[in-house]
Amino acid sequence: MIAELLSNLNGSVVMGMAQAAGAIALCAAVVLLCRRFAVHVEREAAISVARGLVQMVFVGVVLAVLLHGNLLVGALILLAMTFAAAVTASRRARDIKGSLPFSFYAIAAGSGVVIAAMLATGTLATDVAVLVPVGSMIIANAMNACAQSVERFRADVTAHVGHIEAGLALGGDPAVTVAPYVQSAVYASLLPRLDMLKSLGLVWIPGVMAGMMVSGASPIYAGIYQFVIVAMILAASGIAGLIVTLLMRGRAFSAAAQLTLRPGEPQQAPDRLPKIMPSRQ
Amino acid sequence: MSPATAIRSARFIGGPETTEATLRPSAGLQPQAMALETRHLSRTVVERVLVSDISVQVQPGEVLAVVGPSGAGKSSFLRLLNRLDEPTGGTVCLNGRDYRELAPQELRRRVGMVMQVAYLFPGTVAANVAFGPRQRSARLLPEQIAALLERVGLPGYQERDVINLSGGEAQRVSLARALANAPEALLLDEPTSALDDVSARGIEDLVLSIIRERRMTCVIVTHNTVQAHRVADRTMMLEAGKLVTIGPTKEVLRDR
Repeated sequence: MIAELLSNLNGSVVMGMAQAAGAIALCAAVVLLCRRFAVHVEREAAISVARGLVQMVFVGVVLAVLLHGNLLVGALILLAMTFAAAVTASRRARDIKGSLPFSFYAIAAGSGVVIAAMLATGTLATDVAVLVPVGSMIIANAMNACAQSVERFRADVTAHVGHIEAGLALGGDPAVTVAPYVQSAVYASLLPRLDMLKSLGLVWIPGVMAGMMVSGASPIYAGIYQFVIVAMILAASGIAGLIVTLLMRGRAFSAAAQLTLRPGEPQQAPDRLPKIMPSRQ
Repeated sequence: MSPATAIRSARFIGGPETTEATLRPSAGLQPQAMALETRHLSRTVVERVLVSDISVQVQPGEVLAVVGPSGAGKSSFLRLLNRLDEPTGGTVCLNGRDYRELAPQELRRRVGMVMQVAYLFPGTVAANVAFGPRQRSARLLPEQIAALLERVGLPGYQERDVINLSGGEAQRVSLARALANAPEALLLDEPTSALDDVSARGIEDLVLSIIRERRMTCVIVTHNTVQAHRVADRTMMLEAGKLVTIGPTKEVLRDR
């Protein structure tokens, strides 16, 4: 194991660190530029850059050690990643009880279903060196979808307390009164992934395809494989966004169908109408 | 006979709104009035007392006004009556039955509410009016919707988009929407405070005529004591969430 690790510590690592230093310097310049315009992201940028570097080095070390591990090792790594993703996504809804387990269930369901489907169809190899990087892409996108859904759902519900309570006061089922906001939350979380799929090959050539071409794979196959990955990312995001929003919807109301997810009293009147008419589900 | 009673009687006996034509299609929507009683009703949120130990009885067909200064807990009290908020103490009885025994949806159908702001759902006026019945898989006939809209002074408004309505018209739709559920009691949370004087008086007269015509029990929150004089049989005054006094409106608001 140690030998495996030491064999990876070569000149390319030193070169990588130098490149990382260059990237950090560029980020620092951008932060300083932002500061000039009173956009203060110094602390957050510093933490993000430091965390990103440490985490990626850590992942590199783990992969170097476990490069040829079996499916179980890969599954455990992905499970740990899923938990970390859930912690990150749930920060968007700290004040909602159960946001961490809800985020975990949603991300695990979204990425789990998709990764299992890819393994079952042979699209994804069980080798850790393949499973973990591809799986992590899917988990990361499911995490983003989850966070975006939660954020949008909470923002829409708290901005439309009056409409929701008007529906409740008419004897409406809680699920019906927030149906427009469930729809908009899931849609909002899918939009970046839909755009990503639309712009595939036109605006960007993702890393998987580039990596495959560099390592000698057929560019056509690399392109098709990349499409499969992005389509799977869309599927995982859809499942994660839908599940977390539906779970959050349950938490938005009490057992007596009272809206509990709302800004502090006095309640604010919404400044705009919801986009979609509540409909019977 | 008090002015309020006189107005009500006039509306009920032969006001222009209570014609056979406007009532017939919605005849099935007229239920019996409800007796409403609060027993030691209280609500405290994070150590802040919003409503404190209020016990009152509202007789079937009676109009009770709730008055008091801003922050007195008027709206908080009203929201407890249809369980939009949960009491932290005490309860409410409808015709002697604890309202926690009812499903919240059924309770809110029977105890309708018109809010300060109309909060209409995007779409047509007809879709808004049909919202309540649709929640329990009931379908309002087009004639019933037309009759309800005619009753609230909006004949032919069925297909209008709510976005094009004035504040007064929107509040009339809000009233029609609540009436479509055939409630036995109606809660009004300052229904005219967001309107200009002319619209406000029009809505007030309309509400008054409808609750008398349908013999509905009604609790109205208002900061306007003149309005309370005009509409309420009895008035209760709140201060800091506590019931200060309750009695015939003339007596409670004698010096106001």
